[in-house]
Amino acid sequence: MNKARYSLLNKLIAYVLGGFLLFFGLADYSLAQSQTAQTDGMKVNTPAVHAFTNATIHTAPGRILNNATLVIRNGVVEAVGTNVRIPADARVWDMDGKTIYPGFIDAHTDVGQKEPRMNIEMGNVSWNAQIRSQLTAEGEFKHEDDGSKALRELGFTTVLSMPTAGIFKGEGAVVNLNDGTVGDRVVRTGVAQGVSLVRTWGLPASYPTSQPGSIALIRQTLYDAQWYDQAHEIFNTNPRGLQRPESNAALAALTDAVNGRQPLLFEANSDEEIVRAMRFTQEFSNIRPWLRGNGHEYKMIDYLKQHNAPLILPLNFPSTPNIRTPENALGANLATLRHWYLAPENPARLAAEDISFSFTTDGLENKSHFMRNLRKAVEVGLDERTALEALTVNPANLLGISSTHGTLETGKSASFVITDGNIFNNRSRILSVWIDGHHHVINRENEMDVKGEWAVTSSTGLFDGMMNITESRPGRLSGKIMVGENEFELSSVSVQDLPRRFRADFNGEELGITGHIRLTASVSGNRLHGWAETAGNERVEWSAELSAGAEPSTPQEEREPAPRTLELADIRPAMDFGIASKPDQPEHVLVRNATIWTMGPEGIIENGDLLVRRGRVAEVGQNLSAPRNALVIDAEGKHVTPGLIDAHLHSGINGVNEVGNAIVPEVRMADVLNINNIWMYRQLAGGLTTAHVMHGSANPIGGQNVFVKMRWGSLSDDLILEDAPRTVKFALGENPKRVGTDRYPETRMGVEQIIEDRFNMARDYEARWNEWNSNRQGIPPRRDLRLDALVDILNMDIDIQSHSYRADEILMLMRLTEQFDFRVKAFHHGVEAYKVAPELVEHGAGAVVWSDWTSFKIEAYDATLYNARLLHEAGVLTSLHSDNSQIATRMNWEAAKMVRAGMDPVDALSLVTSNTARVLGIDHLVGSLEPGKHADFVIWNGDPLSTLTKAEQTWVDGRKYFDLEEDAEMRAAIERERADLIQLIMEQQND
Amino acid sequence: MTKNMNTSIRSLNQMNVKLQNTMKISALIILVLVMQSFAVTPAEAQIPAPKQSEPIALVGATIHTISGDVIENGTIIFEDGIITAIGSGIEIPSGTMVENVEGYHIYPGIIDSYSQMGIYEIGAVNMTLDINEQGPVNPNVMVERAFDPESRHIGIARSAGILTSITTPGGGLISGQSAAMKMDGWAWDVMTMKSGVSLLVNWPNPNNQSNYEEQLTFLRNTFADARAYMTAREAMEAGNSPRHDIDTRWQSMIPVFKGERPVLVNANEVRQIQDAITWAEEEDVRLIILGGRDAVLVTEHLKARDIPVVVTSVQGSPNRNWQGYDTVYNLPAQLSEAGVRFAISGSSSAPYAYRVPWEAGTAAAFGLDVDEAVKSITLYPAQIFGIDNYVGSLEVGKHATLMITTGNPIEYQTQIKQTYIHGRKSDMSDMQWQLYEKYREKVDQWKSERD
Repeated sequence: MNKARYSLLNKLIAYVLGGFLLFFGLADYSLAQSQTAQTDGMKVNTPAVHAFTNATIHTAPGRILNNATLVIRNGVVEAVGTNVRIPADARVWDMDGKTIYPGFIDAHTDVGQKEPRMNIEMGNVSWNAQIRSQLTAEGEFKHEDDGSKALRELGFTTVLSMPTAGIFKGEGAVVNLNDGTVGDRVVRTGVAQGVSLVRTWGLPASYPTSQPGSIALIRQTLYDAQWYDQAHEIFNTNPRGLQRPESNAALAALTDAVNGRQPLLFEANSDEEIVRAMRFTQEFSNIRPWLRGNGHEYKMIDYLKQHNAPLILPLNFPSTPNIRTPENALGANLATLRHWYLAPENPARLAAEDISFSFTTDGLENKSHFMRNLRKAVEVGLDERTALEALTVNPANLLGISSTHGTLETGKSASFVITDGNIFNNRSRILSVWIDGHHHVINRENEMDVKGEWAVTSSTGLFDGMMNITESRPGRLSGKIMVGENEFELSSVSVQDLPRRFRADFNGEELGITGHIRLTASVSGNRLHGWAETAGNERVEWSAELSAGAEPSTPQEEREPAPRTLELADIRPAMDFGIASKPDQPEHVLVRNATIWTMGPEGIIENGDLLVRRGRVAEVGQNLSAPRNALVIDAEGKHVTPGLIDAHLHSGINGVNEVGNAIVPEVRMADVLNINNIWMYRQLAGGLTTAHVMHGSANPIGGQNVFVKMRWGSLSDDLILEDAPRTVKFALGENPKRVGTDRYPETRMGVEQIIEDRFNMARDYEARWNEWNSNRQGIPPRRDLRLDALVDILNMDIDIQSHSYRADEILMLMRLTEQFDFRVKAFHHGVEAYKVAPELVEHGAGAVVWSDWTSFKIEAYDATLYNARLLHEAGVLTSLHSDNSQIATRMNWEAAKMVRAGMDPVDALSLVTSNTARVLGIDHLVGSLEPGKHADFVIWNGDPLSTLTKAEQTWVDGRKYFDLEEDAEMRAAIERERADLIQLIMEQQND
Repeated sequence: MTKNMNTSIRSLNQMNVKLQNTMKISALIILVLVMQSFAVTPAEAQIPAPKQSEPIALVGATIHTISGDVIENGTIIFEDGIITAIGSGIEIPSGTMVENVEGYHIYPGIIDSYSQMGIYEIGAVNMTLDINEQGPVNPNVMVERAFDPESRHIGIARSAGILTSITTPGGGLISGQSAAMKMDGWAWDVMTMKSGVSLLVNWPNPNNQSNYEEQLTFLRNTFADARAYMTAREAMEAGNSPRHDIDTRWQSMIPVFKGERPVLVNANEVRQIQDAITWAEEEDVRLIILGGRDAVLVTEHLKARDIPVVVTSVQGSPNRNWQGYDTVYNLPAQLSEAGVRFAISGSSSAPYAYRVPWEAGTAAAFGLDVDEAVKSITLYPAQIFGIDNYVGSLEVGKHATLMITTGNPIEYQTQIKQTYIHGRKSDMSDMQWQLYEKYREKVDQWKSERD
């Protein structure tokens, strides 16, 4: 199937090169005719040979010919150069003063795809309506209002048409922008498979509902495509005794992509989605990702340089932030203001770092803003040649059409743009585009010019004299007529270019006529021939002869570009409190003379020292000596604790719940981390250094969680705590049963049963794999990421961290897992965990609870402030959690509440440090200040469990990520930068 | 019942041992304080305390009068619920029950100045909520009439020293009247310290300009209608006009126009605050700002009109990313420094009323003077809501609504040992403690079975 397509493609290219492909009569503006269609009516044989002379021709970016000639024949360039013979059969177009560029190529459009078919119920389709990989852009192409016209007006001649709906959208095709049937317009098919990280809501699929779910589905589908390919190959080789694998058009269509024969074109809607798309290459090394970007790429140039995926760049600059009133301005965050200023620099900044890209109009709500934004990008630093490359040769190379498109060379497609000047000049206009030899007028130039002095003669001599016509402003004519001593102002001066007509009025009172004399005339070169209506008197014939042409008008001054006076440092994240670079990691840090809560066997050390070496705790004790060049911090009177850990948080992720299925352990929170998260900075300010960022509670078995270190200023991949265990969210009680109108389960009984059912499925799946692995005969089982995760859960390679409220449901999951011979790692929230403390101890499960949340729903009514205390007293490994971004900024105070509840202070602090690490299985890394552990620590200005205490410094990996004094400086800098940007907006709005 | 009582007493004794070990306080005092309050209490029922029957003198504590000096080794005497004497070395009249509270501190009870105590039980169970009456205009609804004395949250707050709740309805534009409630009693009537202490108005959202103006028009018209009603009734009463029928809603607003009941305007954004100030001035009504997140931008305006601010939820984060992480934490300090009158309240949540002193503590960690922080949850709210003749400080003539603590109540680690409300000695057991006790028993049984 694919071979067939490729050979078709080759044929198409051969046709183009041979000049046979596209043949349009100039007089014929109706649909182009299919080459295989029969002729209806008269055969059209208008010559299609054109010579464009005296032009400035950009044959390729940076290659400019002056006074050159371009000859095209039957849609193909026959010759281009300064010394080109004009064919005798050519129609000649004088291009004096005009510039010709290769036709622009838009590398990502919805041309012909604006109204996708939503219900595809027929055929061997995927089980999931979001997977439409079998669709092709050419096959789904709708001709009516296909969007070509708006793009032609911007100089585009050729585009990649991408299907628009679904997660796997189908294959894109390069088509030209002529009017006509897509069969005649296709340049290349099967160019790339479109992938969206966001589901299309109009498609009837209950799963996935979230971005992490979408990513999980993409991952599974790519595995399915690999399996499908393999299964069919094995079956086709020898089907005897084998269960026949299913037939699935969607998976068949993806085999090229998973094997690297076809690119996957990801629509990346944010900086994070770029990372999310590129992450697939870690798991599927053969895939070739392309990125349709989003305008935020300048924020992650280092990442893009490293990953080097083809980039298709929109020019959708943000609208000006609303700062009309001081109150509006209060609402303008630095992130918004900065992006407004920096977005136009996006292409220039990428180009400066040698990242190449192709432009697209995609993402622009109003396509007509494209040219304005392109020019703006050039105005703020993008090199014109680079800009032209991004419109021509880069997309041609990317889309595999460079043998026919991208430059104007002999043998290539006659697709080009004619302008009246440099395309990057604000006043230049696109006059026409030619697409495969087919002419489209964009802005018609007037062919006649009546400006100048005319000697007027009238048949009655009524108004013999001189008439002077001028252009008062572009496109607006005015004039005077002098008769004897009298001078009359002309009104309603106008011309009709193609009928070659002239019109004007003047008030003839001085000539003895009451009312207006109304002139009308035909224009014939230097002569006017017309007649005049003289306000009810006789009609007069008149004529005029041009005695002097108009002075050439002086071109208006170019508008001064707004000065780019602001120097905005690159910061990450590119928002309020973002930082210019990762904080230093000194070789040695020695914190001296503090009260050190080690949260390890050494307990509290008064007048203690903490020595850090290369990001790890080296030693804790008294009177430690400072290594040479150590950074020494005198912390006399201060307290030092390990960095606080939050065992349950949902900050900094895009998508918390995948509700599309009751059982979703294939979903991974690590896929959707988002660094543009102000909470991380605020949490650092409260001494938090590690968080267990969790899936939501919509599912009896939810997604896999991720451990995040508060490395503010890193990319999301670098936030993940290394060597941490895998954990999965379970959820019991009200939340999972009240999700859907008709999603199983709706009772606690059903919650228990669906978990048991999936455990059984997982055991069977595991057995199937073991059988296959023992003989490796036939078709391997399909790899199912959901069941993989369940097997890992059953084998305790993934720890269960289960949301729970009531005692009965806690007991239920313990008994159920015991039935399957494994254990729950910990119960979270556990509002009634204290009621089953002995059972928890015997099972070996920990409890991760709120300090005091209560009574927000019926299952939370029996909450008690003494929950953690009683659990601790019973011997349950107990921790606190926030489950709330704000509370995560002050976990020391959550621990302090437990002192109020009667706990010992060190025990209380352990609930947000050492115990938390243990219950999460990360105590080999963090949670206490012991040699070898991460140098994550907080310097407090007093007892960390006192109301009156605040964090002064927060260190992660031996790097200082928060400092109270630096925070004050940063605030002042943010205020200044915001004020500068707001002033700039006001100046521009007042202009 | 007997079994329960025995269980309760046994757990109590266990707790005594713990307290002795951990709190380093004399066994005698524990016995006096704890035995008296717990011995009579069956599990899962808090018994309202009886009326004070004899004069009581609490002797030896550090007394924080709040309105005056701190008295070391002080004595406070109260009779029939009213403070009769405070001082150091003062004479104790005969017939006075003397309790030695040496080593402890005595503070006035904390006031939760914005609360849904008594009208909120379980958030997601609608039938347990009596907060939002139907429609936008409910100036006549009186919160104390729906106040449930059986609410679990009352005892939990009381044992943490929250002894007065200004319970406030919500919803709509004009939500209704709040009342100052004593946190002990058999029914709402005896628990009501003062009804109608404020009328809550939820200031409209200014972000949508046309909707904002529409809402303000409605608010102004409503007040104009009510004022017209008052005029008509006064004219009738003076015999200058025919009879005018009663309008229950407008009748309830007469105290607002007479300056007897302040309007509590829920306003956080700066435009809401400013616009509420100008509105209140034009309406000639007394204004209290509730929320006040942006109040720091208009402190001069607030001061010029002497408008107090009830800051809700100090333990919050700013709405705007560019603002410092402690923008809300240090709002009270900034108001204090600017000289704006203010109080600190919680988020209105009934179950979390006991967090109020910690909200004040956070303000203190971020710049507010510690004594000011205590005042912001005692004397200042009493003054703002006009109940300072009863509570808010320890002064002769005021209610004996006070608590015996191990330290400053704004400090997390401080234990509240005993509270008195209008002289009644509170049951210090609450539902959360009772659940602890009950399941502590389960743990103990399990441990002994295991051994």
